[in-house]
Amino acid sequence: MSLARIWKVLRKDFAMGPRSPFFLYALVLPIVLTVLFQFAFGSLFEPKPRLGIVDAGNSEITAAMEAAEGIELTLLDDAEELKRQVEANDLDGGLVLPTGFDEAVRDGARPPLDFYIGGESHASNRIILMVTALDSIREVEGSTAPVEVEVVSFGEEGLPLTLRLVPIIVFYALVLAGVAVPGSSMVEEKEKGTLMAILVTPVKVGEVLAAKWLLGLSLTFVMAMMTLALNGALGSRPLDVMLVVLIASLLTAMLGLLVGVVSKDSTMMFGIIKGAGVILFAPVLWYLFPSWPQWIAKLFPLYWIIEPIWQVSVMGEAVSEVWLELVVALAISAMMLPVIVALARRMQAQMASR
Amino acid sequence: MTQPAIKVEDLSFSYGDIEAVKNVSFEVMPGEILGFLGPNGAGKSTTIKVLTGQMRPKSGRAEILGRETGRDDPEIQAQIGVCFEEKNLYLNMSGLENLNFFASLYGIKDPDAMEVLRRVGLADRAKDRVHSYSKGMRQRMMISRAFINKPTVLFLDEPTDGLDPVTSAQIRTTIQEEADRGAAVLLTTHDMFEADQLSDRVAFINEGEIVALDTAENLKLKYGERSVKVRLRDGEGVREEHIPLDEPGSSARIAELASSPDLMTIHTEEATLEAIFIKLTGRGLE
Repeated sequence: MSLARIWKVLRKDFAMGPRSPFFLYALVLPIVLTVLFQFAFGSLFEPKPRLGIVDAGNSEITAAMEAAEGIELTLLDDAEELKRQVEANDLDGGLVLPTGFDEAVRDGARPPLDFYIGGESHASNRIILMVTALDSIREVEGSTAPVEVEVVSFGEEGLPLTLRLVPIIVFYALVLAGVAVPGSSMVEEKEKGTLMAILVTPVKVGEVLAAKWLLGLSLTFVMAMMTLALNGALGSRPLDVMLVVLIASLLTAMLGLLVGVVSKDSTMMFGIIKGAGVILFAPVLWYLFPSWPQWIAKLFPLYWIIEPIWQVSVMGEAVSEVWLELVVALAISAMMLPVIVALARRMQAQMASR
Repeated sequence: MTQPAIKVEDLSFSYGDIEAVKNVSFEVMPGEILGFLGPNGAGKSTTIKVLTGQMRPKSGRAEILGRETGRDDPEIQAQIGVCFEEKNLYLNMSGLENLNFFASLYGIKDPDAMEVLRRVGLADRAKDRVHSYSKGMRQRMMISRAFINKPTVLFLDEPTDGLDPVTSAQIRTTIQEEADRGAAVLLTTHDMFEADQLSDRVAFINEGEIVALDTAENLKLKYGERSVKVRLRDGEGVREEHIPLDEPGSSARIAELASSPDLMTIHTEEATLEAIFIKLTGRGLE
């Protein structure tokens, strides 16, 4: 087997990628899903309240607002500029703190304070800004709240839905880039007859298979890592995440190769992907419904790659905690190899006899 | 003594129970064009597939440059060029990209793809994607791809099938140039004119068997009839007379007609390859 020839076929596939709708679909869909899920269930389109302050006297209120989580603070020098930005909806609200404001509050002088509110700002943002500002002023005054609030939460304690949706998006990245791209690339070469043209050159069928597998592997790795990063799920152990994603990519690219060699044409390939899609997708459901019996999820092949990704990237576990899953994933991949080789021989004979 | 570039001995191949090639034997020398002439389904393409390593023979032996085919031998594959009947090009790549890619598979570091395209008249469309090419242009691309590695042995499967006469003539010229360079060419066709014009020798293949193999001229001499056709005015109409040359008294009859005031035309009659094929197999080439 020649690495140089594998590289030449792989390079051609990457060069042709942007001209293939399937390749582009694999690149775009995980990003689109991330944006959609963040829009529906996350905070992507709920920006923090934006407050502008003109502070002439180095007020403690400014420091308190700066320290407050959940508020985007902008410091300005000019009150007129502050008003302009509030009016233009560049800021939700604005405060002008004159010289000696803190001292006047402490002396009980009740100094006037103008709070500018943008007409287009969200009511929720206005309330957050006003309550936070009043709380800060009360602290400057030295008074405490008249009541003590005790927070009691109801309902199931658990991860936010946006995180529980991560396996779905990662699943799509894995299946599209790992299964559909190498599978469709292989099938297209068969349908167009270009595979036969390659195989009468010094390139061997094993080298073509290796190139298609590497195509799926590399694309899946990049897309899965990008998907995790976009969803803030890279965890605290990026090297561990990279290792589990690499093994996941290895297995899905093998599946893609299997689909590619077994499918005579695109119709058959899409039929297989649609038919097998339920089996492939099934383990993802257990992350949406964690109360379901976990042993059932283990019956599905992709469980053995989605579970390690979940544990390491979302739950922050070390790779040593998921070694069993990774070994099973590698074993599944190894078992597929002789099947793919045998099917490739049959495929070659079928192509020649067409 | 020069070794044959292609050597086939008692080669057989079956698709299940159907015998597609039966005990075929032939040789092609370097610089020689062997025309494989036969109707569709005669076994021409199957023979090429076995020789190019796409299929393994059921029995017999096939050698390219002294090495047995069908063994995934990159050194042999590097020496051959194949023009398939099916136009299997990368349509989303330009002509130039197609040639550069295939040249890279042969390990050619600095291919002169533009020169190859120029030879087939595609230099001005080199950077256009192949899907914008006409049928004739795609066929010329197929030919140029078969030439990109300067092959020692060329397999051309129906290279001019369905093309207009001008494109066909261009392709025939480039094939002849390759043979002149020293390449052994195995050309399958069911176009008797093409086989006659290009081939140094012609093999008639029918139902998987070679029924005749010789130069076109020898085949015509062996199986054709030598005769002269004379056309004469006959009142208001025209009368034709066929005179076999090998019969006694034919020379005197020809001389008599030649001096006749009614003589219009006089032609020698040569048997066509198609007529010989029909004579030998009882079927036509289409």
